[in-house]
Amino acid sequence: MLISRKWLSQYMDISDLSINEIADRITAAGLEVEGIEKMSEGTHLIIGEVLTCEDHPDSDHLHVCQVNLGNRTEQIVCGAPNVAAGQKVIVAQVGAKLPGGEIKAGVIRGQESNGMICSLLELGVDPHSLSEESKNGIEVLTQDAPIGHEDPLAYLGLDDELLDVGLTPNRNDCMAAWAMAMETGAILNRSVQLPQCEGISMQKGEPTTLKVASETDKCPLFMGKVINHVTIKESPKWMKELLAAAGVKSINNVVDISNIVMLETGQPMHFYDKDALPSLEITVKDHLNTTYTALDGVTYEIEPEDIMITNQGKPIGIAGIMGGDDSKIEDTTKAIVLEAAIFHHVSIRNTARRLNLNTDASIRYQKGIEPMATYKAMDRAVSLLMEYADASGIEDTVVYGSNRYEPTSITVSLPSINHLLGTDFAMDEVIDVLQRLALKPTQKQEEITLEIPSYRQDLCIEADIAEEIIRIIGYDRLNATLPTMPATMGALDDRQQLRRRFRQLLSDNGCQEAVTYTLVSEQLSEDAVMALPQPIQLAAPMSEDRKNVRTSILPSLLGSIAYNQNRSVKDIALFELSSVYGKEIMEEHLAIAMSGSLQKSRWQGIDVPADFYAMKGLLELLCERVGFSGKRLSFLENTAETKMFHPYQSACLYLGKELLAVFGTIHPNAAKRYGVSSVVMAELNLEVLLRNKAAKVKYQPMSKYPAVNQDLAFVVAEDVKVGDILSCIERHGKLDKENIIQKIEVFDVYTGEHVEKGFKSIALSVCFQSSNKTLGEKEINQMREVLLSSLEKEMNAQLRS
Amino acid sequence: MENLSAIKKEAMEKIAACKDNGVLNQLRVLYLGKKGPIQEVMKTMKDLSKEERPAFGAKINEIKQELSALIEERKTVLEEKETAQRMEQEKLDITLSGYTPNVGNLHPLTIVQQELEDLFVGLGYSVAEGPEVECDLYNFERANIPKDHPARDMQDTFFINVEELLRTHTTAVQMRQLEKYHAEGKELIKVICPGKVYRRDDDDATHSHQFMQCEGLVIGKNIQLSDLKGTLEFMAKKMFGESRVIRFRPSYFQFTEPSVEVDVSCHICGGKGCSVCKGTGWIEILGAGMVHPNVLKMAGYDPDEVSGFAFGVGIERVAMLKYGIDDIRNFYTNDLRFLKMFNRFE
Repeated sequence: MLISRKWLSQYMDISDLSINEIADRITAAGLEVEGIEKMSEGTHLIIGEVLTCEDHPDSDHLHVCQVNLGNRTEQIVCGAPNVAAGQKVIVAQVGAKLPGGEIKAGVIRGQESNGMICSLLELGVDPHSLSEESKNGIEVLTQDAPIGHEDPLAYLGLDDELLDVGLTPNRNDCMAAWAMAMETGAILNRSVQLPQCEGISMQKGEPTTLKVASETDKCPLFMGKVINHVTIKESPKWMKELLAAAGVKSINNVVDISNIVMLETGQPMHFYDKDALPSLEITVKDHLNTTYTALDGVTYEIEPEDIMITNQGKPIGIAGIMGGDDSKIEDTTKAIVLEAAIFHHVSIRNTARRLNLNTDASIRYQKGIEPMATYKAMDRAVSLLMEYADASGIEDTVVYGSNRYEPTSITVSLPSINHLLGTDFAMDEVIDVLQRLALKPTQKQEEITLEIPSYRQDLCIEADIAEEIIRIIGYDRLNATLPTMPATMGALDDRQQLRRRFRQLLSDNGCQEAVTYTLVSEQLSEDAVMALPQPIQLAAPMSEDRKNVRTSILPSLLGSIAYNQNRSVKDIALFELSSVYGKEIMEEHLAIAMSGSLQKSRWQGIDVPADFYAMKGLLELLCERVGFSGKRLSFLENTAETKMFHPYQSACLYLGKELLAVFGTIHPNAAKRYGVSSVVMAELNLEVLLRNKAAKVKYQPMSKYPAVNQDLAFVVAEDVKVGDILSCIERHGKLDKENIIQKIEVFDVYTGEHVEKGFKSIALSVCFQSSNKTLGEKEINQMREVLLSSLEKEMNAQLRS
Repeated sequence: MENLSAIKKEAMEKIAACKDNGVLNQLRVLYLGKKGPIQEVMKTMKDLSKEERPAFGAKINEIKQELSALIEERKTVLEEKETAQRMEQEKLDITLSGYTPNVGNLHPLTIVQQELEDLFVGLGYSVAEGPEVECDLYNFERANIPKDHPARDMQDTFFINVEELLRTHTTAVQMRQLEKYHAEGKELIKVICPGKVYRRDDDDATHSHQFMQCEGLVIGKNIQLSDLKGTLEFMAKKMFGESRVIRFRPSYFQFTEPSVEVDVSCHICGGKGCSVCKGTGWIEILGAGMVHPNVLKMAGYDPDEVSGFAFGVGIERVAMLKYGIDDIRNFYTNDLRFLKMFNRFE
């Protein structure tokens, strides 16, 4: 909200404080000043008179003027279309500092120019508060303007300073200048005098025929009043200046009074031209299905939820938002009807939003108006109309309903407040703060009873009062302590540990952690891998791309691969850990997507391609490192997730009988859709690991006997799986019932020349080691024979010669 | 005897001149082996008298030992020379690039989150999490945000249906923790709640419809506002440097009272004023306050018995300040050039 020095000065003496000091203190007390602005700016200004104005000989739009500045005359070249001899104008003298820069003496197309005749725009005045005329040319002052006056901005009332205060939702009362003044007075410790007009509108007036009523509970209070004679004229200077400071255009005294009252009390008012109303019966209604043309000339579709002001069944205004054109105050208006009412803020918010109509009134209704504001506004309006619009023929105020307000009081205990805050504030200073806040404290030993003003609806409990006390005294009085409480053990749980371990393992092995959005498009939902059933859809998505809560991470990660590949990055390895959701279910997944090389040193001939086997090994490593290895893991062919995966280069990884991950090469069609090339990827369900028991680290004595390596090379049919060969070797690799196979390493798989078509050659290195003896040549040969004959028998393997 | 001296002299010369270990070995065989000039002289021993023989034998042995030592000495020299020559031939171009294993790193948001977790775990906090698909009850109702509060508006919240939504703050996790601890009969809570949250915002340099928060909650018998200040000051020092100080400014949140905004003295200029702190010397980093009695009550606690504080920090905000990142969208684009900038342990 905007408040200015002139506004505040009406109520308290702040002449000793700079605007920056005021801003700092208000901010420190919780009303954050987001901006300080001068209404206008400029030094070395003076009021002058244009004596002569000739066309510039060398220009089609410039003028050469002789300007009388009181003690001297200067020649000034001026480009404004409206400059003319005889005008009183604002002159920026040589050396003047204006928002646009410094004014220097100069020669413009051969003509000397010693200063500038100014427009208000050039003096930094907000264009919104200016007429088209003022915006398009120099400011022409009235003829009585004193030549040689050295503060034209003050002369025009443009010397105000504005504070833009950001209000927290609990302090929307400060939208009203009176409440803001009370607050500022409390903060600055100044005594505040508000205009005295309480009860004026309730004084006995002339009998009235006005009838007001509400047919909706969204309007609990409606006040109306007829004033039979007003004089429409220009507003007094002070009123125009205050309106300008608040960014409101001055229209005429009566309209301006309705705006001033709204700014002062926070209560929007509406004044109707009495003679333009079809009758003196005003009824508030909803459930209308109609159209209505408001003051702005736009025709709005009115829906049943909207609150309307009606007269003889026809709308005369959209309640709390905008009035109508037919009954607005004109220069010819003689008599008026005043309206002040309470409308439900949610209803106003919905209507204002739907109609896209954010008016000063609707904003105030939405933020909430203090319960007594309606009465205060009516009092103030009557008082101002009497003083500045010659109001007479004032009829009785007609009231429908009530504001349902009962004054409240709170009793608080100082020790308890000090205990909550961790402070040791003394009773005296606390009472002083509460008095400044107009809470009328009465003290009884350690207890203080407070009367809560109607505009402080945010004060309900002791904690609220504690906050009031410390924010006015100042948070710099608060010490820094640490909680005194029994010791607690902080630790990460299993899930959090698992996440950290995977992050570390993956990044140590060349993968980069990524974070992608949870909300995805329909297409990404359909492409989910290891997906949870039934994706959750947003009720009102912001875009097609952010429609569903994802059930799988991989499709999002493919987007990141595409992004980087489009930027010519070849070697990419990304992973992401995230929760994924389906209706009624939530899981935590890990996704990995890689492309190019994992490790590379070209001159050394090192290149580890990001392929199926790299992914397989990485998944095995992850599982192994967190306690799942060997026979507990099995790799089966992928038959389920064939849409996203290459059907012959993908697999399912099972832990026991549970599906842990699907991984492999991306399906060429999916690669095309995502605009990626050669991607290998995996999606893994962490829940499976978390609900299974991990193997613990266990010591095993190292064998004291040497290990022996033997190479085996043989040819098998092409469709024989290496896995079956390995398990055959493992099964038969026993000497005296001891398993002596330590390790089998495949070092060559070959098809092509020298191998019969339909067959492949496999070379293995098997490491034998016993834990109770040295294996001799005899035993090794025996073992070798056993293995080869088993392979021959079970795998139809033929030893390569 | 003269003969022997000549043999010795000749042998010594040959050994000293030897340039090759193979030749040296031949010399060893020649002079110390079974056939050679010394052995030849040995044969003449039988011609000597019994008295002369021991001295003669000793003399021969002495020469043999001397030569053996010389050969060993020469061998060492030759071996060293050979090794030196071989190594010279093995000379590497040390300017060729080394093999640097490709190692990835954590996402900057993870780095900051883990830093916060570690810091609070060290203070005895647990790390609590909750669902991102939340119900109205925990996201709003329990957080003292009544039905018609503007924050519930469709403008700000991604609703799924009347009851479900994407959580707008990790306060929802706090509310679940309060309920859980109360159900377990505990009157002491120290948790932090990191996680993703969602708001209906258009993505731009400073707004993201998805972002991360880390909230903290402490409940106990005598928790005071000053404890909040001490805790947050500790955090600010750990995150932004030991010389940081913090200040409180009054603010407003539905679920705390009193509520404060917390500024930390600028880590760039040290408080003198710079472009990062917009000349104020202070940077706003988080919101906090004393848990509102209504919130305690709704979770089943008696606000006269226990009190507590809560705070919430934006993880993106901390990361942006710490690393000087100017566009929040960078966190979610996953441009490898961006991600790899955070590859150092700090």
